Amino acid sequence: MAGLPLLPELLRQLFSRPATNTFPSRHLPSSVTGFLAKVARGEATIHPPVPTPPKFRGKIVYDREACIGCSLCLRVCPAHAIEFIPETKRVRIYVTQCIFCSQCNDVCPKDALHMSPEFLLATEDRYAESQIVE
Amino acid sequence: MSAEKTKKTIPYTVPIGPVHPALKEPVMFTFGMEGEIVKTVDFAPGQTHRGIEWMGMRRNPVQIVHMTDRVCGICGIVHSLSFARAVEQIVGIEVPERADYIRTILHELERIQSHLLWAGVAAHELGFDSLFYLAWRVREQSMDLIENLTGNRVNYGIIQIGGVRRDISSEQRSLIEKGLAYYQGLLDKMATLFLEDSTVRMRCRDHGFLSENDARILCAVGPTARASGLNMDVRQDYPYCAYGDLDVKAILPPAETGGPRGDVYDRIIVRLLEIGQSVEIIRQCLESLPPGEILWEPKMAKLLAACKKAEGEAIGRVEAPRGECMHYVRMAGKEAPESWKIKASSYSNLMSWIPMLQGEQLADIPIIVASIDPCLSCTDRVAVTRNGRSAILTKEDLTRLSREKTRRMMQ
Amino acid sequence: MIETLPAILIGAVLVAVFSIIIGLLLMGFDRIVAARMQARIGPPLTQPFIDIRKLLAKENVVPENAIPWLFNLAPVIALASAITILFYLPIAGFAPVLSGGGDLILVMYLLTLPALALVAGGFASGSPYATVGAQREMVTMIAYEFPLAIVVVAIAWRLAAEGISLPFSLATIGANPVWGLVGPLGAIGLLILLVVLLIVTPAELSRVPFDTPEAETELAGGILVEYSGKNLALFSLTQGVKTVAMASLVVALFFPYRLAAIAGISGFLGAVIDLLFYILLITLVTFISVSVIRVAMARFRINQVVSVYWIYLAIAGLGGLLLVMVDQIMGVV
Ligand code: SF4
Ligand code: SF4
Repeated sequence: MAGLPLLPELLRQLFSRPATNTFPSRHLPSSVTGFLAKVARGEATIHPPVPTPPKFRGKIVYDREACIGCSLCLRVCPAHAIEFIPETKRVRIYVTQCIFCSQCNDVCPKDALHMSPEFLLATEDRYAESQIVE
Repeated sequence: MSAEKTKKTIPYTVPIGPVHPALKEPVMFTFGMEGEIVKTVDFAPGQTHRGIEWMGMRRNPVQIVHMTDRVCGICGIVHSLSFARAVEQIVGIEVPERADYIRTILHELERIQSHLLWAGVAAHELGFDSLFYLAWRVREQSMDLIENLTGNRVNYGIIQIGGVRRDISSEQRSLIEKGLAYYQGLLDKMATLFLEDSTVRMRCRDHGFLSENDARILCAVGPTARASGLNMDVRQDYPYCAYGDLDVKAILPPAETGGPRGDVYDRIIVRLLEIGQSVEIIRQCLESLPPGEILWEPKMAKLLAACKKAEGEAIGRVEAPRGECMHYVRMAGKEAPESWKIKASSYSNLMSWIPMLQGEQLADIPIIVASIDPCLSCTDRVAVTRNGRSAILTKEDLTRLSREKTRRMMQ
Repeated sequence: MIETLPAILIGAVLVAVFSIIIGLLLMGFDRIVAARMQARIGPPLTQPFIDIRKLLAKENVVPENAIPWLFNLAPVIALASAITILFYLPIAGFAPVLSGGGDLILVMYLLTLPALALVAGGFASGSPYATVGAQREMVTMIAYEFPLAIVVVAIAWRLAAEGISLPFSLATIGANPVWGLVGPLGAIGLLILLVVLLIVTPAELSRVPFDTPEAETELAGGILVEYSGKNLALFSLTQGVKTVAMASLVVALFFPYRLAAIAGISGFLGAVIDLLFYILLITLVTFISVSVIRVAMARFRINQVVSVYWIYLAIAGLGGLLLVMVDQIMGVV
């Protein structure tokens, strides 16, 4: 239509599939935590998230056995998210502080650190068990 | 019947900001209004200062490079690239050619997504939400591409001092080509949707005017300056990365659309054309992507040692989607740089708001403010507080403080 | 026609409840189709009900420099007057609850009442955004009133030219659909008038591109910026009821048809069919003049709103009126 070039496209879209990503469900559940609990009990199905790309940097994973305690990772971590525990000569990573740059992965001589594709990390407690990797 | 409403004789002030739906980031405007007409404009940035440079001066360059990713929420390459280029000059690092090309490809992908993001925001400021949704939907393609190449959508973490952290594989290469074909096919459509829409034209043509002279005097940069007819582009004037090998010319509003007029409409044109230009640049890069290493020094410990030894100062400048972005770094043989200063592109553009807004209607404020694509959290480098209240420093104060600081640094 | 007082009261309550429910449903419908056109899923149909329930549960905040009594009174007046409009409009072929000789004129005056209440509320808010919004609302009102009047006059004139008494009565218009009276030229004229009325509707309802008084990105909600809680809920209800009223006005003027009567069905079934048909018609009107228009355009500046109505639509309306007149004269000759 003259002057309104978007109009035909809009009318076409009225009859095509919406582009909305329906994760985690089509409409906001009245309680998100309630909904997730239901999903865990198998009473509801969660609409899966968009798959993560191949080199996605999600929650960090730590191979305690491989680590030699060289603390190189501490030197490059921009967020000071890694703590060195002198007693065990191992490190502890605070996920709430981590900015997912994966610089520590690159630097580790023993390949003890990796980024997993896990990204649903929201929590109310900074020091929850899920937020500390050691 | 006059189209304007009854004019009040006494001007009244309308505050917009620091937080307002017209602004995507905090900045404080005070408008002196006469009826619907803007008579005086004043603005106060510095509402979203985060002290990132302070943090940087306590970290080593490898750490800082990841912080620069977070200077801006949109330009993940621009800041890390200009910081890295500054450090590379100081340390004397020769970036491998392949890394330079990959940097260029990502830099241009970022320009595509940033310009599309801006197009959406501009449409939203005009109250045209359908166009906003459409622009952001087609933007997703470039975001997906960037995500695939770098690993994450927003904080790419791809630039390293002396190169890039990830190579482009052959599958990724074909993905990029697919993305380019998608945008190539989309260009005409976007041009029609934005430029031939009569409501958009009604709102943008001949509004938010910035003359060529004002643009020069106020040191405008990027699309804002080019839309006013200034032929300037860092990629053309001071080529960096792979731009020296490529054919890049600053894009001015073409004469067939009415030549550079310096209004909001011209800024739309420049940005839309630049999307096409970026597609072309990426294509050229892919064609002549040289083989080889992607890092000057893959061992971080060695890189850090080299940085620690280095002394000197340098400026890294790149053409961000919003204009020239500059990082000044000074190293003095320590782990952390002695000084680090960011001049974001919007910093140079903010002052052009004043001539643009004067004499316009209240209704045009959102689109004019958005038309320079302001990025305020990149720009805000200072916030002055005294006794818990914000304070304003005058020109004299600033001169004195700068002299004192220079003296301190000279010792 | 309903005459006795209790009957009028029952009718009034029925109309009020009906208009609020249908109004909210229409708003939900509008949000869904607008979302679909923008390739989104959109909220569920009942979202406006959920919003209202939430707003009703919230506290009313009255700004410090507002005029409290006016500030709180405005939403009540707005809703009450919006519902009153529907007392004069035929719904689904049922006679209006209240009516009189010149009720179309009355409807036109009543239509300005919710807007005036909004303006009063805006000025009483004591916020610069609301003040600018209120000024703009007044200008918009003046702007669209003229084309609206042309449409109304054109139709009444055509009926009067036919020698029909009480041409401004909606009952008369309902009994004599205009399309049946005109020839091809007049039909074109009527079509133009219909388009004019459909474009007046979004301004009446403060929707994009004529939502300058609220203009989210400029005035942060303008006139309504200081309203919250129950007061805002009342204004939202008003918006719904006004949507029903405007759509009903379009239907009453241009499509006063009753499916059941045409099909020869009477009694309860006929009434149900009529009601459904009427709801379909107002939904259609809402779709065209609210949803489609608002997704396809950018917001106008206030001076552009005025020129759209005073120049383009007024000329179009007068052209339509002229065509209807020429058609009638030619028909007589
Ligand atoms: S990923 Fe980055 S921020 Fe996170 S622990 Fe490793 S180095 Fe630190
Ligand atoms: S760099 Fe690797 S080996 Fe060294 S402390 Fe960190 S995790 Fe352990």
